[in-house]
Amino acid sequence: MYIRAEYRKDDQLKYISHLELMNTFRRTFRRAGLPVAYSQGYNPHIIFSMSQPLPVGMVGYNEYFDLELKEKISFTKIKKEVNKKLPFGLKVSEMIEIHEKEKSLQAIVNTARYRYEMSFRDELNQQKVLENFLSEKEIEITRFRRNKDDRMIDLAPMIYNGRVLKDDVWEFTISTGSSGNVRPQEVIRALKIKTDGLVKEIPLVNIERLGLYVREEGKLYKPTNKDVLKKEVREK
Amino acid sequence: MNVRDKIYDKLIEISNPERYIGNEYNMIKKEWQPDQIKILTAFPDAYEIGMSHLGLKIIYHLLNKEDNMICERVFSPWPDLEELLKEENLPLFSLESGKSVDEFDILAFTLQYEMSYTNILTILKMSGLKFYSKDRTEEDPLVIGGGSIVSNVEPVAPFFDLLFVGEAEDHIVDIVNKYKSLKEAGHKKKDILIELSKIPGVYVPSLYRVDYNEDGEITGITPKYDEVKEKVKRQLISNLDQAFFPEDFLVPYMDIVHDRATVEVSRGCTKGCRFCSAGITYRPVRERSKETLMNQIDKILKSTGYDEISLTSLSTVDHTQIEGLVKELTQKYEDEKISISLSSLRVDKFSVKLAKEVQKVRKTGLTFAPEAGTKRLRNVINKGVSESNLYEAVEAAFSEGWSTVKLYFMIGLPTETKEDLEGLIKMVKNVLKKGKEIRSHNKKKMRPIRINVSVSTFIPKAATPFQWEPMVDIAELKEKINFLRSNLNKKGINFSWNEEELSLLESIFSRGDRRLSKVLISAWQKGARFDGWGDFFDYELWLESFRDNNLDPDFYLRRRGLDETLPWEHIDMGLNPNFLKNEYHKALESETTSDCRFDNCKGCNICLNLDVDLDIIGDDYNVYKS
Repeated sequence: MYIRAEYRKDDQLKYISHLELMNTFRRTFRRAGLPVAYSQGYNPHIIFSMSQPLPVGMVGYNEYFDLELKEKISFTKIKKEVNKKLPFGLKVSEMIEIHEKEKSLQAIVNTARYRYEMSFRDELNQQKVLENFLSEKEIEITRFRRNKDDRMIDLAPMIYNGRVLKDDVWEFTISTGSSGNVRPQEVIRALKIKTDGLVKEIPLVNIERLGLYVREEGKLYKPTNKDVLKKEVREK
Repeated sequence: MNVRDKIYDKLIEISNPERYIGNEYNMIKKEWQPDQIKILTAFPDAYEIGMSHLGLKIIYHLLNKEDNMICERVFSPWPDLEELLKEENLPLFSLESGKSVDEFDILAFTLQYEMSYTNILTILKMSGLKFYSKDRTEEDPLVIGGGSIVSNVEPVAPFFDLLFVGEAEDHIVDIVNKYKSLKEAGHKKKDILIELSKIPGVYVPSLYRVDYNEDGEITGITPKYDEVKEKVKRQLISNLDQAFFPEDFLVPYMDIVHDRATVEVSRGCTKGCRFCSAGITYRPVRERSKETLMNQIDKILKSTGYDEISLTSLSTVDHTQIEGLVKELTQKYEDEKISISLSSLRVDKFSVKLAKEVQKVRKTGLTFAPEAGTKRLRNVINKGVSESNLYEAVEAAFSEGWSTVKLYFMIGLPTETKEDLEGLIKMVKNVLKKGKEIRSHNKKKMRPIRINVSVSTFIPKAATPFQWEPMVDIAELKEKINFLRSNLNKKGINFSWNEEELSLLESIFSRGDRRLSKVLISAWQKGARFDGWGDFFDYELWLESFRDNNLDPDFYLRRRGLDETLPWEHIDMGLNPNFLKNEYHKALESETTSDCRFDNCKGCNICLNLDVDLDIIGDDYNVYKS
């Protein structure tokens, strides 16, 4: 049995890394006594995969993982047991069964939405600044890469949407994953360049990931939405 | 006040912020009530080191079991957090409630090794506390300590109000309760300390006067008041099987040093290695029964979700029920892919057989510790291992498919000559040769043979038969290391050693006296932190600190006279006063002393003096005894 779960990582645990989070889930599954499946080989581990990593310091409200179980058990039971055994700051909100041949989260999730606590040098018309930014044909910034040369990239085609939620709080929907990845801070850096420093850079903790999505023909779906799950779960 | 909340979002700027967030699964966070007594356990090293320490876990859970107590944790802040707190003008905070140290009644340090001493000062300073016990006020929390180095804690003794000598399980709750009632009755700190000093194992440094002669040698350590005991006797638990052991371990997020579930299969070791401090300070051997261990392991695995269980003790393979225990564990947990690790292997075939049994799930490296290169020198240190033991063990290991083995040796040992180092080199080369032979005949594919040789510097420790021996001269030490390095510079051999100056400093403090507290403060003020972490260690800074205080490192490294009053004379390990001397003389004659577990009593008298007995559980042993 394969399950896909939606969970949130709150403020209390925003400083744990992706690897630490994976370990935390693995230990939680064991504490919950789930019939987890193990990989073969020298160093067997629980078969389990996660959606795009959250950077250290960032809260995420709609994150996902897939897990294989050796036998079929009821969702209500799994969800209840897992939530009981998760540390404070992690919570599973939804679970569905998926087909064993379902494409992985990393393969289908291509869009992320972030909430930014903005910071400005002067007073300004936030709506207007945003509109100007979104209408740019080209948004070039330098991408800094670890152990590799810096390179120029154009963010314009990868920023899908932006909104001013309220004063000083903005939201951006941007491309993520292997087919084009925008780092959330890069949007701010681009804004700073385009506004000649009116928009100031902000620490990572001022950005939250609201959700991860599958974007198809301009529409956003949750990875747990039946419309994006291509394979029906066979009745046994 | 929650201090952490004030800088929570700034933690993004420092390294490993998860060290400071607490909130681990199984963390105990109690509501603060005014009538409860609040204890903050402090481990003077980084989170990932402190959280790997079993003693801290025992104390944490033991105290929190009491309804009228709250026990929280603090570790040494990494220099970047120290800097951040200073900038923000905030004190150090506990992991559970984020409260500052001054909100607690007791600050309780776990003392594990000399090279963490400056971190004690960081914690005190960042808590707004004065370093010296005598300078702190009635309102300050009581600063106490305990742990494996209480055989000589004199260099830090003046910082503590109270220290506990030995195993605290049976006494810590009483001490805390007694402190609370004396404090509530309105007694002054000095009177409280005199009262507490009457509890067995409690050592109040300020109640003892230390006198020195003009050469700087100690002439006497005497109680200041009639009602203060002359010697502080080490305390221990008589029945490990019945002793408290936590089953709901904290599960850290960070990849800590020992990130696994742990059970303590036995305590104490009577093998009698003469360089080993733990061999004396944890005597005698007390075992936990297989039934108790199986039961504890089951509960710990369920409550933590760990997939690895470590069977720890000073010599796990010597547990009389180890074979049965390992067999039962592997059968029970194979399906759940739980791997088992043995904390210390004996140098023999039996150990390899056991290692093979436990490593069905995950295979890790094998480590053997022959310690010295010739039979003569091994007799001097009473390490009862023969060359053929080692060759049989490694042959078995290579044949079972291990391609890497680690060998531990010590250098700078008493009476050591060039011949001993040549013997070491020969042993390593023979091991490599055997490995290569087996690999070439092995039908299965094997990775190239690797021998990791780890050489540590012998440091004479208090309360061991070598406590009078001088520390090896640094020039000689460097020469020895160079000799080994050039001779072991061979494909397939990886040679590592301790930083020489760091060993020297450890040696100074391990046999140091109270005057060294001034050196610690000077070095701390000059910036010494986390000295055990090579990357921070600055020997020049330390030498300067000695000069500033008119103290000579060589005074502490020298040979001690057999009749000299040693700085730890008032701490009673429970030994027959002549035992260490006899062992020392036997060592110089390369005469060995056998393990009293499997032979008659060797006269250390600890069982008699401390009113305990060897507590061995296995059948074979009982047959032998009868």
